Amino acid sequence: MELLKRILYILFYPGLLYCFVGGLVLAGIDRKLLARMQKRVGPPIWQPFYDFFKLLGKETIVPRNAAKRAFLAAPVIGLISLITVSLFIPVFKFSPFSTYADLIVVIYLLTIPAVALIVGGSASGSPYAGVGISREMVAIISYELPMVISLLAIAKKVGLELNNGIMTFSLSQIVEYQAQNGPLFTKLSMIPAFIAMLLVIPCKVGSLPFDIAEAEIEICEGPLVEYSGAPLAIFKLNHAIKMLVMTSLFVTLFLSGSGTGILAVDAILQFILSIVVVFFSITILKAITARLRVEQTLRFYWTYPTALALLSLILVYFGL
Amino acid sequence: MFEKLIQKGLEKSAWLYHLNTGSCNGCDIELVSVITPRYDAERFGFKIAGSPRHADIIVVSGPITSQSRDRLIRTLAQVPEPKVVVSLGSCPRSCNVFNGSYCVEGPLDKYAPIDVSIAGCPPKPEAIMAGLVRAVEILKEKRRAMK
Ligand code: SF4
Repeated sequence: MELLKRILYILFYPGLLYCFVGGLVLAGIDRKLLARMQKRVGPPIWQPFYDFFKLLGKETIVPRNAAKRAFLAAPVIGLISLITVSLFIPVFKFSPFSTYADLIVVIYLLTIPAVALIVGGSASGSPYAGVGISREMVAIISYELPMVISLLAIAKKVGLELNNGIMTFSLSQIVEYQAQNGPLFTKLSMIPAFIAMLLVIPCKVGSLPFDIAEAEIEICEGPLVEYSGAPLAIFKLNHAIKMLVMTSLFVTLFLSGSGTGILAVDAILQFILSIVVVFFSITILKAITARLRVEQTLRFYWTYPTALALLSLILVYFGL
Repeated sequence: MFEKLIQKGLEKSAWLYHLNTGSCNGCDIELVSVITPRYDAERFGFKIAGSPRHADIIVVSGPITSQSRDRLIRTLAQVPEPKVVVSLGSCPRSCNVFNGSYCVEGPLDKYAPIDVSIAGCPPKPEAIMAGLVRAVEILKEKRRAMK
């Protein structure tokens, strides 16, 4: 019975099916909103589904000087790790796979899609991909620092209240805290971390001002340049799921609470909050900015978001 | 199993790759105007792709110059099947005013079968849209023939 339940979790609700549908719908909504902001009609919300199935129907070309196995395995590895992350993120009080320190698992698993992109890019043997992967590494270095510091601030804040002052890395405890004391973003010490995480999301999902690794115009989508057909479809899917996972994580960290107790309602609520987060952190930024250069991205992330996250950590130690 | 969805996908999401083989830039600007808010080809799913590997429709503009000839052949070979070649403007069909120049090795049909040709110097954005919609139909036919 327990096993059956777990399999259902993996295949349907927080797992594969939900990630596929939710991620692509979220990506479609993002594209539609962006188009409306630019006074265009824009593609239909189902557009990412069309893209996905079209790419499945195309020929898959493996370049002659590519490392074939790594080239084809990389997108699948990214997809699997993203679905695993999705299983660890609680939807309000419902958490299918809860462990003692799931936040650390999530941080590590969230790096794997980026690493898969790097592996796939370097396996394709294209010079454009070479430039792309070096930029992807810079992007990882830049967003990881503010993200980890703001997660530490949250862990300390929750730990002070619920865990006798010891940091807690359990996502269910973070939700528990919010169920008792209201969402975390209403706490004074958490507001800087909230803004910092909001700024980390666009770089993590590789959207416009920070999409240095996949700059279409300069380096022809970097690591993806040699991909075609089904592997490209999976990479596009990864991109959409990354958006879903990052925003659900954000909702769980800052906007969560006790919820309604009915899973379906909670799930819909979580998804709507994800759309709101996508709107503010990804779509608006995409509509009003142009791409930064590599070193500008690094400088940006290591100054403002890092400073905000540190400020948050200091405020937590002062007990605010 | 997915054949129906794939057909629908091909209809709704054709990605363009724009290949400039020595055009005077007139056609290129008209192609770009198709994706601006005024004409907004993205509502039909058209998107300009960065790499020929991602493309479904290759839009060629310009009379083939001797510098660009090899690149043209190599780029066309890199596009995964099914693919459609669209010639944009009069240049790729007839070399237009550049005909007879020492450095022009057109027209395009010496190197690749043309599926759709859009006339004009440069063509109007409406004409380009009509041509692209026709190209999508041919794309679907090619997919059916592949099966
Ligand atoms: S068809 Fe006319 S506008 Fe287009 S590239 Fe040729 S000369 Fe220029």
